[in-house]
Amino acid sequence: MENKAVTETKKYPDKPITLIVPFGVGGGMDLVARLLEKTAPAQLGQPLVILNKPGGTGAIGWNEVVGATPDGYTLGITGIEVLLQPLYGPTKFHYPTALEPLVQISESPMVMAILAEQPWENLDDFIAYAKQHQGKIKFGHSGIGGIGHVAGESFSKATKLNLEQVPFQSAAEAMTNLLGGHIQVAFLTPALANEFVKSGMVRILGVAGEHRLSNPDFANTPTFKEQGLDVVGSSWFGIAAPKGLPIEVKNKLADGFKAMINDPEFQKNIEQLGLQVTYLDPKESAEKWLTDSQRLTRTVQETGIVKKIKEQKK
Amino acid sequence: MDVLNLLLQGVSVSIIPSNLLSCTTGVLIGTLVGVLPGIDTVSAIALLLPFSYGMDSTAALIMFAGIYYGSKFGGSTTSILINVPGEAASVVTCLDGYPMGQKGRAGAALAISAIGSFIAGTIGLIGLTLLAPPLAQAALAFGPPEYFSLALVGLILLSKLTGTSTLKSALMAVIGIMLSTIGLDSLSGISRFTFGIDELDRGFDLSILAMGLFGIGEILTAMTHVDAKPNIPSVRFRDLYPTKEEWQRSITPMFRGGIVGFLVGLLPGPAATISSFISYGLEKRYSKHPEEFGHGAIEGVAGPEAANNSAISATMIPLLSLGLPFCGATAILLSGFMIHGITPGPSLITERPELFWGLIASMYIGNVLLLVINLPLIGVFVQLLKTPLNILMPLVAVVTLTGAYSINNSMLDLIWVTFFGILGFLLQRVGFEPSPLIIGLVLGPELERGLTQGLIICNGNIWTFITRPIAATILSLGAIVILYNFFTWFTKFNNKRKELDTNRY
Repeated sequence: MENKAVTETKKYPDKPITLIVPFGVGGGMDLVARLLEKTAPAQLGQPLVILNKPGGTGAIGWNEVVGATPDGYTLGITGIEVLLQPLYGPTKFHYPTALEPLVQISESPMVMAILAEQPWENLDDFIAYAKQHQGKIKFGHSGIGGIGHVAGESFSKATKLNLEQVPFQSAAEAMTNLLGGHIQVAFLTPALANEFVKSGMVRILGVAGEHRLSNPDFANTPTFKEQGLDVVGSSWFGIAAPKGLPIEVKNKLADGFKAMINDPEFQKNIEQLGLQVTYLDPKESAEKWLTDSQRLTRTVQETGIVKKIKEQKK
Repeated sequence: MDVLNLLLQGVSVSIIPSNLLSCTTGVLIGTLVGVLPGIDTVSAIALLLPFSYGMDSTAALIMFAGIYYGSKFGGSTTSILINVPGEAASVVTCLDGYPMGQKGRAGAALAISAIGSFIAGTIGLIGLTLLAPPLAQAALAFGPPEYFSLALVGLILLSKLTGTSTLKSALMAVIGIMLSTIGLDSLSGISRFTFGIDELDRGFDLSILAMGLFGIGEILTAMTHVDAKPNIPSVRFRDLYPTKEEWQRSITPMFRGGIVGFLVGLLPGPAATISSFISYGLEKRYSKHPEEFGHGAIEGVAGPEAANNSAISATMIPLLSLGLPFCGATAILLSGFMIHGITPGPSLITERPELFWGLIASMYIGNVLLLVINLPLIGVFVQLLKTPLNILMPLVAVVTLTGAYSINNSMLDLIWVTFFGILGFLLQRVGFEPSPLIIGLVLGPELERGLTQGLIICNGNIWTFITRPIAATILSLGAIVILYNFFTWFTKFNNKRKELDTNRY
């Protein structure tokens, strides 16, 4: 029996590998998956078959990944929601422990965007104005409990401004409403803000990451940390497998994906989508999941997001 | 004449053989996507993205755009032939297109829908060419309170599109709104009315409902007429094309639909679908033969099919001049653009004029190509109706179910299609029309979102809505329509009573 298992894994992969995308066709995660599809046959030895299983903010797709046989033929693309979902209520599986991260592909910190025609030149101006005009400032984001909301609420808490939040269906919708002047602030990914920053319509007051963004358009934008505020919130994409992958298979996949991510053309394509390639290996990814989980657990409780969601669920 | 010069430069870009080829490929794929139910524009473009890496970026964009507007061109085909909407935007075409087909006028319906699509597509393109940046700015003035007002007035005006009973229509619209609340609430992230079933989180897909209510419902209806003779429309060449009278009745709806579609297309949401319903409502109101609607009125095909095509051109405006996708299909177009290193937005027109104008010029060419491709196909499509019903209907069932499965790769969706098919069949039997339900399902979420977001923005005070000029205008229009209807009803009622009174003495 044991021998057979070894020979079987040695042959891995001898059939196409299914990559489950837990969101619809055309979303950010889906595009990343489709970019990987291209180099897969060369680096993994087999093509990737992309299967979209949208629904439940990723839950349906990830449930399927967790429930699959850990043989390396069913993988899933993951994002920050893997860590956020279990914080808001019972999920079928506890994804951070039921899934095994293989790699992190990219990471983008949220940015705080305002209209450039607003009189606030920097964060201090903004905070001073908001303090004097309680209830006038509303911030938009791409959905309650999402990372944009988390970043916005932790900003609101760190500055004691008690800003009111307006949920939108997508970050693009939040951006539209910011441009139309219906909301005053939006917390979203730099990819969406980039073009408006370049054309001078939008100003970024802070980056919710550990470091400044590498994109030259944002080079002069300080992080919140630099400005003395503990506001951190980044979205990221990665690949995970169901727990219990044979070690050879895991290594093979980790090496394959590493090569795919380091492929210069893949990097170019990812950057064109406005994402920043931030590769992490399986071990680093697992550590990041742990620290991020701990921090997010604290943040969503302290900012009252969990309480708010639980109240609505009643 | 500056614009004309730029457009001519664009034409010179778009007629380079490789670009012309990708335009043709795009509209051909688009036609196919439109004709086949279940395959939507978003997944078609997403699936083709990896194949486009090797292409020149301008050529790739021309192809993606071609798929996008091409798909709306062909969407009416299956609506007219087999009562299965090929695209969500062609749901309303089932209402009169299919009855026309049953009367042997499928050819005329298809021709009018193709020509209407072409005319309206061109109207939309002219708007896009001349007015893109200012219109994009104007669209931004619409915030959540404005959407709430639009959706509310839309529901009032559109719910009684078909059928005779206001009560029955209103009931269906309310059921549609109720169905739209099932699933994961996009704003709060909370599952509602899902009873713990994860798959219900996705909510009810418009296409699934339409395929069931219209497509499967029709199959079941056909099954109850076992001895019905298969429809054999005459095959004489001139019968394939509209008569002079059909032409005259269609031309105004085409232009009206074109303009309505363009305006609706500027706003976020499923613009093409909503615009086709609005156009249908308008045509019914202005028609000299409102009683024919629902039984094969050609205006009911010409208007909506025109509207959804010019809406498509209009949705390109926020995409190209702001870089903001207002619907799912433009979102995937945006991704396609970005993968090729092009970021649409305020600077696109100045930084990449050859690309911007080349794309727009290619859309003019694509529209002509679509007409040239679609008109000869009508003869082929109409032959389909000669298939005996006992062979055609099972085939329709297979196509519908395959299409329904392919949307989310979900078995549950197949159960829903069947369920709504049976429901649609039963509803028809007792005199309920399914289309207000579809309207409720489309506008329900817009109404709810507009209200929730609007109330937060207005600090919880709904009366602030009427201090916003655009929202106030829309709401008062709605109020006027209600008052007018009430007034006419009251005078009619009064006259009747007087008549009764005079008769008595």
